[in-house]
Amino acid sequence: MTAMKPQDFKGGLRAGIRSALGLPTLVLVGSMTGYGALAHDTGFGAGLAVLSTILIWGLPGQIVMAEMYAAGADILAIAIAVGMANMRFFPMAVSLMPTLSGGGILARLAQAQLMSATSWAYVMRSTAPETPSARLGFHTGFAGQCMTVAAIATMVGYLGAAGLPKPLALALLFINACFLLLLLLDTKGRGAAFAVVTGVVAGIPINMYLPDTGLIVTGIVGGTVGFLADATGRSAAS
Amino acid sequence: MSAFGPTAAALVVAASVGATFLWRGIGVILARRLDTKGAVFRWFSFASFAVLAGLLSRLLILPTGDLATIGLEVRLGAAVVGVAAFYLSRRNLLVGVASGTLSFALAAGALG
Repeated sequence: MTAMKPQDFKGGLRAGIRSALGLPTLVLVGSMTGYGALAHDTGFGAGLAVLSTILIWGLPGQIVMAEMYAAGADILAIAIAVGMANMRFFPMAVSLMPTLSGGGILARLAQAQLMSATSWAYVMRSTAPETPSARLGFHTGFAGQCMTVAAIATMVGYLGAAGLPKPLALALLFINACFLLLLLLDTKGRGAAFAVVTGVVAGIPINMYLPDTGLIVTGIVGGTVGFLADATGRSAAS
Repeated sequence: MSAFGPTAAALVVAASVGATFLWRGIGVILARRLDTKGAVFRWFSFASFAVLAGLLSRLLILPTGDLATIGLEVRLGAAVVGVAAFYLSRRNLLVGVASGTLSFALAAGALG
């Protein structure tokens, strides 16, 4: 595609919906069908399963919640575990929000609610629009499309849970990991590359010894390594 | 049973929603005065990449629940197939994800 990048909100919105319609939609159909089936087996109602997708909007945390509930864990323990699993939304919101054009606090909270690992990664790609208002449109269109598809897929998975063969159900949970892996391989820039490699490698021992807070410790370590690599790259270039 | 299931399940979802939204909200508040050219903003972007990378390690190498019933060699093998297909197809995400997931399903079916 050689077309110029969109400059305004409307153009960004269209571009966002268009990019979400391809692979992100397919991945969401797969992974959220898997979650719907899991929610069904866990004993959630259909409405609750769909609501949990829209309102939590972070699959790893949703899976933690469903599995702990099925295991009979205490509500406080579940809330803490889900909070820990979804702590990533904090640094992600900090690094996404300033690149979208303004708006009131409610509009910003709405964008933060729409944000997922996929929407964040797509807005950070070099192909995403650059002006703040086009980026706002792009994120709104992309994430809105994703959330709609995910809600429908959760319902479909919930209704079809009984007919899903076990290997397929497991593969649907795996699809998300595979997508995240390739998205991270596709990141550009020295700092991001160092952050990703450090995060993957250091993430193994850190998450082994700190199952609760491991992700945020991994973020601090990998983020600092990426920051330093980026800074030394800049000073070497200047 | 209503459309929402037992009350306990609804309470668990509500608590999980709150625990998740908290982080999004704190991020929005902290981001309000941040300059996108500043060092703090850059550090947070790299930290986000690292957190997602750590999440990947967790999903692939240290999964919990049902995924943990499939051996590490299947999970890593399928990931390698996905990465290889991604590069062989000149960085086509669809080909990569489809190959990785399909090989995972086949291996899980054959071994399970």
